[in-house]
Amino acid sequence: MVDVIRTVFIALPKGFYTTLKHLFKKPVTIQYPKVKREMAPRYRGLHYLEVYEDGTDRCVCCGLCAAACPADAIYMEGAENEKGERYAKIYEINLLRCIYCGFCEEACPEEAIFLGHEYEFSNDNRDVFIFTKEQMLANRPKKEKPFKRIIRRVRRIF
Amino acid sequence: MILNKISIAEIKERMVKYPRRKSVILPALTVAYRQVGHLSDQIYREISDIIEVPYIEVAEAASFYTMFPKEPVGKYLIQVCHNISCALLGADSLVGYLEEKLGIKKGETTPDNLFTLISVECLGSCASAPMMQINDKYYENLTREKVDRILEELRRQG
Amino acid sequence: MADTVATVTLTINGREVTVPKGTTVLEAAKSVGIEIPTFCWHPKLKPVGACRICYVEIEKMPKLQVSCATEAMPGMVVNTESEKVKEGRKAVLEFILINHPLDCPTCDKGGECDLQDNTFAHGIDDSRFDFNKYRFIRERKSTFDDYRIGPEIVRNQNRCILCFKCVRANKEIFGEYDLGVFQGGNISEIDTAPGEKVDSIYSGNLVEICPVGALTNTDWRYKIRVWKTQQVKSVCSYCADGCNLTLWKERDKVYRVTSRRNDVIDEGWICDVGRYGYQLASVEGRLTTPLIKKGDKQVAATWEEAIGLIARKFREIKDKKGGVCIGGLISPQQDCEALLAFSKFFRTQLHSNNIDFRTEYKMLPEKESPYYSRLTSASFRIADIENSDTILVVGTNLIKEHPIVHLRVRKAVNQKGAKLYTLNPFTTKSGDLSRDEIVHVPGTLEAFLNGLCIGLAEKADGEGNVRAAELKARLEPNTTAKAAEICGISEARLNDLAEALRSAKKISIIVGELVSGSPAREAIAAAIHNLTVVLNLNERGQAAILSRAANSKGAERLGVMPSLSKELQQKLKSMWGGFPETEGRATDRMIHAAKKEELDALLIIGANPVASFPDGQFVREGLDKLDFTVVADLYETETTEKADVVLPLSSWVEQSGHFINLEGTMQRFEAAIKPVGNSRPGRQIIEDIAREFKGGLFADAHEIAREMQELLNVEPRPSFPDAVAEVKFAEEKIEKDYPYPLFVVDEMHHFGHLTERSRSLAAFAAEAQVEISPSLAEKLQIENGSLVRLESETGKLVLPAKISEMLDNDVILISRNFSGTAANMLQMRKKRIDRVRLIRVDEK
Repeated sequence: MVDVIRTVFIALPKGFYTTLKHLFKKPVTIQYPKVKREMAPRYRGLHYLEVYEDGTDRCVCCGLCAAACPADAIYMEGAENEKGERYAKIYEINLLRCIYCGFCEEACPEEAIFLGHEYEFSNDNRDVFIFTKEQMLANRPKKEKPFKRIIRRVRRIF
Repeated sequence: MILNKISIAEIKERMVKYPRRKSVILPALTVAYRQVGHLSDQIYREISDIIEVPYIEVAEAASFYTMFPKEPVGKYLIQVCHNISCALLGADSLVGYLEEKLGIKKGETTPDNLFTLISVECLGSCASAPMMQINDKYYENLTREKVDRILEELRRQG
Repeated sequence: MADTVATVTLTINGREVTVPKGTTVLEAAKSVGIEIPTFCWHPKLKPVGACRICYVEIEKMPKLQVSCATEAMPGMVVNTESEKVKEGRKAVLEFILINHPLDCPTCDKGGECDLQDNTFAHGIDDSRFDFNKYRFIRERKSTFDDYRIGPEIVRNQNRCILCFKCVRANKEIFGEYDLGVFQGGNISEIDTAPGEKVDSIYSGNLVEICPVGALTNTDWRYKIRVWKTQQVKSVCSYCADGCNLTLWKERDKVYRVTSRRNDVIDEGWICDVGRYGYQLASVEGRLTTPLIKKGDKQVAATWEEAIGLIARKFREIKDKKGGVCIGGLISPQQDCEALLAFSKFFRTQLHSNNIDFRTEYKMLPEKESPYYSRLTSASFRIADIENSDTILVVGTNLIKEHPIVHLRVRKAVNQKGAKLYTLNPFTTKSGDLSRDEIVHVPGTLEAFLNGLCIGLAEKADGEGNVRAAELKARLEPNTTAKAAEICGISEARLNDLAEALRSAKKISIIVGELVSGSPAREAIAAAIHNLTVVLNLNERGQAAILSRAANSKGAERLGVMPSLSKELQQKLKSMWGGFPETEGRATDRMIHAAKKEELDALLIIGANPVASFPDGQFVREGLDKLDFTVVADLYETETTEKADVVLPLSSWVEQSGHFINLEGTMQRFEAAIKPVGNSRPGRQIIEDIAREFKGGLFADAHEIAREMQELLNVEPRPSFPDAVAEVKFAEEKIEKDYPYPLFVVDEMHHFGHLTERSRSLAAFAAEAQVEISPSLAEKLQIENGSLVRLESETGKLVLPAKISEMLDNDVILISRNFSGTAANMLQMRKKRIDRVRLIRVDEK
């Protein structure tokens, strides 16, 4: 008898109180497709290629990112542009091979490649996952990634 | 042919004195310089034909020595030493002063075709720096007043 | 040990090292595996001590010494790793890096750069130099100073560390005076003479020896990083020198070719044909599928259809008329395996001896004279050239035909003081090196050689093994004076040469294509044989007719010829259990038979006789008469146009195999990439046809190797007594209408009919030109580049003229490597020397 009273009059209200309390709290989950979470500044998502102010490629196709890549996900072919400079004629990342470790970003001597904050690129077609240079240039965020500044600062020290 | 008979004879005479034909390049260039007052591509070719060494060897040797002007120069070729001893004792400001005084830049000739100003490598008179060589004569321990006097003297001789 | 070499013993890093006298400290250290960093040192060049990175500490010497230019002395105590040395290296590297740009990411040398490696190993990580780096800017298009100094070489002076290796090699080794160091100090500049270009046949080597990225090749430039490539060991497939190559490939593409030093053959230098020739494997327009002629058109077909058709047709012809009505031509640039399969297919399945590999030669004899085959198969060592004190070069533009042999001759002359004599119908580059450059009247070579023999015999009368009287009776012209008169050379020069040969200790006689391609080859060979007998050359030197293409020697040794030596015939008979008894036909006889409709079918692999056989009219008529022609090649050629079945052939970078070079050395090359399209290697094509025709040729790869080995064990030299051959001189008629002798030769940067497809080689020369001497140009008022018309009895050709400073007599040279120019239309196979007239064409 005592147990019943305890359950009904103490435990249950206690439980309902918790529920009631959370009704007025901000929810932990978010409504994903409609609402998106702000990613951590160092989050490593989809790659993008940076350009100079005048719009020319920063990438010189030196191949260091491909050399640093532990998954061998990067393929590139160099060529000479009309100014006589080296540039990447083909620059492809196989997103299925990529493990998003960010070594390419660290290896890049020209500060050309970065891993951005985008993470929505699922698809049911494997061919789509060959990420081309044009896509990577288009993927450039409007705002500069804060991590870039960190990389630069670290570089200056060493 | 730019070189006259006397010069050619002199070069041929010198050829006998040296064991290797390549060694005759500098004497031959000197002979040509004495005759013409400057050296040119045509002269290199003529010398290479006379002493039978490849053209490029003559051109290389001539380009190495600043003592051989490669273009027509004025009557007085002012060569200011710009190597370390002279530079420490103000060769740069001396060149500046001469430029101002003659109204020309380094490497130029005055409109009256009297003076050409160049700066050259060490002339081996470091003990009396700063110094300059005008045609074949050394002028040492230079000061601005001394330069004034020298130029005036040369102008007077015309 | 014949002669003892004086040695010195010194101590390096506490180790006792004994080396021959004259060795430098650096080489002594290297010989025991002690590494000393270097930039300007190169094993084949004289030391200059320009970079000073090879500092070592030598006890009792007050300062650090450059080890590359310090001779090892007895009792020296050397330390290569002391603190003082390390400090010295650091300072040198810091000094070199003062003006060196840090553009390693864009520099093609990155990854294989000596400066990068040495800085990483020995340098410091910071510079104390605070000022702006000095920058060369020339033809500025960009932030770089990239300047083309040759068709295929880009120079970036900012990266140059002034080791002068390129300039030194160019002058010392290659004898080219087109590159120099100008100015001095920090503005020193590697540059060409004004208006000149680095376009010698050795120019690619300058890029290869550059320790930094100052000189780069356009074929490799910006395309790939070195660490992504794999290296494949290969052998050059062009001339018969057999240079060892490394192919640098990634996935299915070859990116460049470098040398693989082999001191016996190439000493680490290769010519540009070998360096850029790989490109033709992957140019647009490769044949990728078999084609079968239907009506007037060649229609794509499958391999099964094509092979089936070939086997059916061959069986038809064989059953109806016999196998002797089928002939075969194979390119001597095919590997040994293909050549052996070709020979086996014809001899065991078709029972025909109609096979040949020589499509560039006039009037091949039914049976070769022993003198000729003895000279072609004579033992000859490239490395032995430098041990000779007298070298005689006969009938060859050596730098064009055998660039690496030419380098050895140069080395012998310049470094070992050998005496060189050249004997040619026109002046050549080798002539510049020679004591006497003898230019004889074209077509009078054997007269000169006979005169030489008589001169030698008269000198050696009483002491030699042949008497002058005997020679005089058998040779014509029978006095030196007469011989000299016929050849247009003064008797004194002939006697000088005879004296030089007589007094020589060791002689090399190098005979080239102007002899082996000539209809008078037998007479000339007999004359040269006499010379070897008179000189007693067996004991004091070597003489050989150098073979032409990468595997010409292989074709000779493996029996891809209509008539074989008795030994080889017996070997084949016992090996294959039979050998056709019928008389074989050589190339020109096959075409002749085709013209007379005695030959019905021709199987051509890799060759292009329509363009290369020296009688254009004849070969075209002959091939048109054939019932059935099968041609396998990489690209569509003049010959594939006439084919009933065209098969796509793989190039040598797509297959592995063996080549036998002019010395008789068999060398293996590996496949770098997969066959392009549906193409197949020559060996496989022959095997496929044989399998469909009657049955497989070889059970497995071991059988091919075994048979090849057995054939190579056969002594190649026919045995005969060292007697004097009878040589009569056939007078050469000079026609008034056609005054100028014509020589159809390979263009300097090309070989065979395919190299024009290589982009880099086309950059050197892309079209055929008429090479004439300045004096002839002046006489006929022809300017460089103006159009001229060549007329011979058989054909006409309009081509631009090129005035060559090299030539100085009235001969005309045109190249046969370009598909747009049918140079062989001017030639006649029966004429020893083709003659033409030259007319200036005034443009309308």
